[in-house]
Amino acid sequence: MSGKIIAVDVGGTFTDVVAVEDGRITTAKVATQPASSDRSVLAGARALGVSDASIFNLASTAGLNAVLTRRLPKVGFLITEGHRDVLDRGSLVRPLEAITDPTWRRNFGDAGGRPVVPRYLRRGVHERLTPRGEVFIPLDEAQAREQIEVLKRCNVQGVAICLLHAHRNDVHEQRLRELVREILGDIPVSISSETSALVREFHRASTTVMDVLMKNIYGDYTRRLQDGLDEVGFTGRFNYADCSANLLPSDYAMQRPYQLLMGGPAGGAVSAAHFGGVIGDDNLLCADVGGTSTDISVIVDGTPWSSSTFEVEHDLMVSATSINIVTLGAGGGSLVMATPAGDIATGPDSAGAEPGPACYGDGGTRPAVTDAALCIGILTPGGFLGGKKRLHPDLALKAFESLDTPLPLTQRIRHGWNMAVNNIAEGLLNISIGRGIDPRDFSLVACGAAGPMILPCLLGQFPIRRVIVPPYPGLFSALGLISTDRVYSDHRGRYMVLTPESAPILDEMYAAMEKRLLNTVGGDQPGLRVVRTFDARFLGQSWETPLIEAPSGRIDAAAIQAMIDSFRATYEKLNANRFDNLPVEAVTYRVQVILPAAKVTYPTAEPGARPEPVGETVLRHIYDEPTLAFEYERGALGVGAAIAGPAVIREEMSTTFVPAGRRATVGAHREIIVE
Amino acid sequence: MGVTAKPMSVEKVAIEGACPECGARALRRYPVLSAGGWFQAVKCQDCLASVERTPWNRLGYVDRSHVDVALAAYKGPGK
Repeated sequence: MSGKIIAVDVGGTFTDVVAVEDGRITTAKVATQPASSDRSVLAGARALGVSDASIFNLASTAGLNAVLTRRLPKVGFLITEGHRDVLDRGSLVRPLEAITDPTWRRNFGDAGGRPVVPRYLRRGVHERLTPRGEVFIPLDEAQAREQIEVLKRCNVQGVAICLLHAHRNDVHEQRLRELVREILGDIPVSISSETSALVREFHRASTTVMDVLMKNIYGDYTRRLQDGLDEVGFTGRFNYADCSANLLPSDYAMQRPYQLLMGGPAGGAVSAAHFGGVIGDDNLLCADVGGTSTDISVIVDGTPWSSSTFEVEHDLMVSATSINIVTLGAGGGSLVMATPAGDIATGPDSAGAEPGPACYGDGGTRPAVTDAALCIGILTPGGFLGGKKRLHPDLALKAFESLDTPLPLTQRIRHGWNMAVNNIAEGLLNISIGRGIDPRDFSLVACGAAGPMILPCLLGQFPIRRVIVPPYPGLFSALGLISTDRVYSDHRGRYMVLTPESAPILDEMYAAMEKRLLNTVGGDQPGLRVVRTFDARFLGQSWETPLIEAPSGRIDAAAIQAMIDSFRATYEKLNANRFDNLPVEAVTYRVQVILPAAKVTYPTAEPGARPEPVGETVLRHIYDEPTLAFEYERGALGVGAAIAGPAVIREEMSTTFVPAGRRATVGAHREIIVE
Repeated sequence: MGVTAKPMSVEKVAIEGACPECGARALRRYPVLSAGGWFQAVKCQDCLASVERTPWNRLGYVDRSHVDVALAAYKGPGK
């Protein structure tokens, strides 16, 4: 690894920062400023000396937060006349809670929802292309100018353009962009044929709208960050992480910034996959338990489970290759509440960064999971965040006492804690069983600051092989940004039944994408890999199986047969049937150019002496009687050390809890394995 | 002339003031039917921004007298 690499992962509560130099890892954690997360990023980067770093990798949630809170710039949307409500139409699927609710409205809609583009800013343009991309109605430039003039009077800050069938022919979109620039000046414009040249009008439109929003948000954000980095003398390469935690140079990322929307949560999955490779465990569930939420991902045979689209919220679709992350409203800051019936519920509401749990002493009066951990004795008043944050047990107890329930104090705390554990167990069960995974074959990677504290309690309640606490669990997601590669990608969409006759078209499509990407990266480079994939379905199906491997080189009849075989094999693995007699229809074609990046290493540690406790704590409320538990310092534990529960293992940014009846051992790379 | 042969029209009442979105002095109030039922809306006729929306009659233009006429004309299920 050459030079210092800094990685920053912005969470809802804390911003995690890691620096790796000559294999040595240093860490920092700063409070996230939700309204201006770039300040938290710069504060964290400065804390670890970004000025002499050669690479700065960032997983940002600025765009995601702006969408979720609707603090969005005002943008216009130009679409083929008669189709302006495509954003309202969404998909057929309604969320479970909406099925019996007649008042439910799609968030993207204009009636009762929270549209990201209000209806009056969606303007129809008189033109039409056929599904084959031929011009059926020429672009009416005079009418288009009138519509753009309306957007001008409304002071829009950007324009998304998505015309019917434009993925087959971009001539009208290109001309419309010229007209927008002529009338509105140099404002961000996204056209669907460049942003997301894929079939399906709704997904293409939604992605294009997200892209122009992100161009506005990340344009300013990147400038502020770059200025801040310039101020401290940083001259290295600044990369963003995309939805698969792949690294994109910041200027390249700004060409299609919608890919940054879910950059944060993917880091944990990539980190777990990389660490799993180091310790020889390829089948993992990864639970990243932060202050606000738990992000769950699945790693099968060493590869994080990915898909070709994701939902920011219901029907807010983005077509981007992304690691599947399921987020549960359960974290260290999840609030413990008394329900109207007087029983105890935990989450999904969170105490957040401000005011935080009651024990922070920052004005919070409602108890959170962290308060429960403090009352139980897993956390100690002086040991939180490496001693930087003093916790107040009296405030935590007072918060539990204030709950409006007849339950005694002990049950309030115990149930609050157990409900947090149960919420995560239920989420893990739904995710694994729902995807046909037997969790008994999987290890659970416990990361995030609160993961090692909560997740070992799942053993016995959830059928999992074991819980693995990796080194630096509180900053594991940020380490994911130093466990991945630089990736440049492109995609095209077109319905095509795979036959020998389709070979020349596919060959031209893949070759054109590869050529463009190789030009972008500056030709062949050491370690460069080109990966082709495609999404396909059986003819007549309405949904695709994504990300099937496609052969490299010239696409001829033999390559087409290889694609068909690859599709049937993948389909059979997922659905237990291969339908040998049905034709296969390809829909989306992707190319990735992968440049290897320097990665964090986890050196083998030395065996240690018999572990010696450094203190003891009394665990209250969680068991029937107060129970003595020994405390250990993680840094002093050598390979092979075995600790019987109940015990607490402390480190600067995290605490591992070994429940009674469980046993923790330290693995070759200093991972703690709880069984 | 039968009821359905009448020309259909909506009276749009001019409203004072400028559109907060585009600045045009083209605000009109009139009933609209959209997801959620009937509303009295104030909309800019230039940019179509919806400046105000208040719930209107549940059945829109159909009032009680229309229902009574329909009921009186109803002769039960046909054979």
